[in-house]
Amino acid sequence: MKTIVRFTLLFIGLFYITSTQAQFSPDKICRIENGHLVFAINLKWSLRDQKELMQLFDLDSTLIAQVFSGKSIITGEYGGWKVKKVKPNIVELSKPVDSKNDKNIKINDLFLEIDEWRNFGGNTEDVSVVYGVNDFKLSYVFTYNKIKAQFYLPAFKTAGKIFLSGSFNGWSTALNPMKRVKDSWITDINLKPGKYTYKFIIDGKWTEDPNNNLREDDGADGHNSVVYCCNHLFKLNGYKGARNVVVTGNFCNWNPDGISMHKTDDGWSVPVYLRNGTYAYKFITDEQWITDPGNPIVRKDGDGNLNSLIGIGEPYLFKLDGYSKAREVVLTGSFNGWNHAELVMDKTEKGWQLPYVIAPGNYEYKFIVDGDWITDPANPITTQSGDQINSFIALKANHLFELNKFQKAKSVIVSGSFNGWNTQGYKMTRQGEKWILPLFLAPGKYTYKFIVDGTWILDPDNSLYEQNEYNTNNSVLWIEP
Amino acid sequence: MKPGRIKYNILNILFPVCAFMLTCSFVHPDQVPFIYRPVYFPIYPYSTYQSTNYSPDFSLSSDSVVIPLKRAGRLFLIEAKVDDQIGNLVFDTGANGLVLNSTYFRNYLKSGEAVSNGITGSVGVVGQISIGKLEFSEIAYKNIKADVTDLGHIENRRGFKILGLLGFSMMRNLEIVIDARNNELVLIRIDKDGKRKNKANSEFKASYFQKFETNSNILFLKGKIAGKNLNFCFDTGAETNAISSDSNKNILNTLTITRRSTLKGAGSARSEVLFGHMNDFSIGERHISEMETIVSNLDALSEAYNTKINGILGYNFLVQGTICINFVKKQFGIRFTKKEEK
Repeated sequence: MKTIVRFTLLFIGLFYITSTQAQFSPDKICRIENGHLVFAINLKWSLRDQKELMQLFDLDSTLIAQVFSGKSIITGEYGGWKVKKVKPNIVELSKPVDSKNDKNIKINDLFLEIDEWRNFGGNTEDVSVVYGVNDFKLSYVFTYNKIKAQFYLPAFKTAGKIFLSGSFNGWSTALNPMKRVKDSWITDINLKPGKYTYKFIIDGKWTEDPNNNLREDDGADGHNSVVYCCNHLFKLNGYKGARNVVVTGNFCNWNPDGISMHKTDDGWSVPVYLRNGTYAYKFITDEQWITDPGNPIVRKDGDGNLNSLIGIGEPYLFKLDGYSKAREVVLTGSFNGWNHAELVMDKTEKGWQLPYVIAPGNYEYKFIVDGDWITDPANPITTQSGDQINSFIALKANHLFELNKFQKAKSVIVSGSFNGWNTQGYKMTRQGEKWILPLFLAPGKYTYKFIVDGTWILDPDNSLYEQNEYNTNNSVLWIEP
Repeated sequence: MKPGRIKYNILNILFPVCAFMLTCSFVHPDQVPFIYRPVYFPIYPYSTYQSTNYSPDFSLSSDSVVIPLKRAGRLFLIEAKVDDQIGNLVFDTGANGLVLNSTYFRNYLKSGEAVSNGITGSVGVVGQISIGKLEFSEIAYKNIKADVTDLGHIENRRGFKILGLLGFSMMRNLEIVIDARNNELVLIRIDKDGKRKNKANSEFKASYFQKFETNSNILFLKGKIAGKNLNFCFDTGAETNAISSDSNKNILNTLTITRRSTLKGAGSARSEVLFGHMNDFSIGERHISEMETIVSNLDALSEAYNTKINGILGYNFLVQGTICINFVKKQFGIRFTKKEEK
């Protein structure tokens, strides 16, 4: 008896579920039948499913609302669609397949839309990686000293030609040949600290580094090897009896698993890559959190805990002259999420200053003088968004936009793919007979124009330009890796 | 059965079912397990100068050369030097000969030579130029002609410097082996009968061969859908396959549609584009299921190639195996990748 009752309940339960809910399977919704595009729609789909249906198949919300309200005749501008009830709660929405093509449609728009669906942002290198550690099977296959990186590939003695190709040389298949040394291959290349992906090309064949455990998907069913050119050595002397030591900090969101350190003659150490910036960190020795005894610089966090502090890269000295009667001056900007309390400046004879390490990039900032937000009076370069004007600084700028002539212009702005074509964003500054703006730009391609007193113009000194959607052309700029 | 036990059993049934349904409902459009890619039709099928059998001379020191292909999305790039400019050429069998990007070669155009823009509205002929030298891998061409057009949109989408497009006809007198899965293009010297010059280099072993009739610079393949013979353009520059939207009803009935888009153009212009899978495609005896495809109007393409085109075989077909093309033998061969290799 009990078994029968259980089966009956199971059957009733399943029937209840299937009759009150309807599964939404995007690949089973739409088909082409006798020249018609046919959607099989279950009227019990949830609002979320209906929204997904509209997104996936570009169906208008008014049309779908009419279908789900039970209408069998579609009215208004969607008259081309027909609704037919095929089962209780199931209707078919159909219209003839549109076989005409309007030649004014730009196919590139289609490419862009599909890329967006796929969340494909192009083959751009991720320059925002904050930290990383290498994991080679053999310690000598990669060495890095200051800027010189050496890649060593043992074996492959019968190969004719081997090239090193990676994000550091724009994946060039020809720029970095390796030298044969006895039965192995070697090459030196100057690299800045950072994360790079690479492969070897052995007689034309792309080959992952067999001695590197660190790899990532190459987006084409294979893998690229990953290497970090390290710029900092975390070191903890002593603690030789510890079983496990890790270093953690704000660079890894204080993950307690942090970065594992290796035992050395003096204690523990690990070489890491850290992007330029200011970091708080601690060591964890057998689950005990300690500050770095070898680093005298410590700072309290918001909860009153002490953390060790390091700056990677050269500090930039923010200065504000004058305001000698102010009680407090705080530096705030896009580099610290516009935190209005964190970066308290030091008082000097001439005014206020704060040395602060931040990664190369373009930043907006302001000073807060006793609660009043002011732009930097010593910096003529500003950005504007609506009524908001901020001081602007490009740290380690690698490109200088220059516009000669136009001395009588009142305002010149550079606008381009680097700032989403913001028309107020980057105001240029007059310097002698030209207008200038230094910027930091990551490697890659940029398109841009100048706006001179409201008129868009191509860069007259740049011969590279391409067509844009308005047939008015954009100037083209490549920043090499 | 105790009331508590009944409740427990009902929950036992309901919970996994509800959990499954909840999971299904959370599938984000981006995570839908169908892969969509830009198509399309050859990036540039139009030519101002090239007749059929265009075949410029080249120099190649060895019997064969393996050229590493770079991947930019689903495009295959060859690193090349055109006169003094270094960059990439898209390996695009849908293109006629050599087509260069006007961003870098505009200055080669003589004044008054420019032709008005646009068959498709997105790309069109700007003009024709002569270049001194084209080099890639161990191959070099001297004093060759090229079309010039705006290819900035490919650079902007894919982030690589694109000097131009490299069509089949540039290597008509070589055997061409494309191993898309391993990103390799192998070019092999052949004799006047189409046989490999170096006899130590054994001939290509294919799962299937097809003779092609055409003398043009574009390769057309016969394939079948729903038992009907169709004319496909073989195009390594197409980032996904395509099927003509005016195909026979029985052919369209075999497709699964997983996405639709209505593109808006200038004024009231609209164009419907459908994406999905070919479920019933076969070439020779080989049946290939679930190849992604776009469904669109291919009239402009048929006009450009002056022949009725039912579809395009692009990236999704390329990765099915290793492909060998021999223009002298007029032979297309494919060695399908074994399932376990995929």
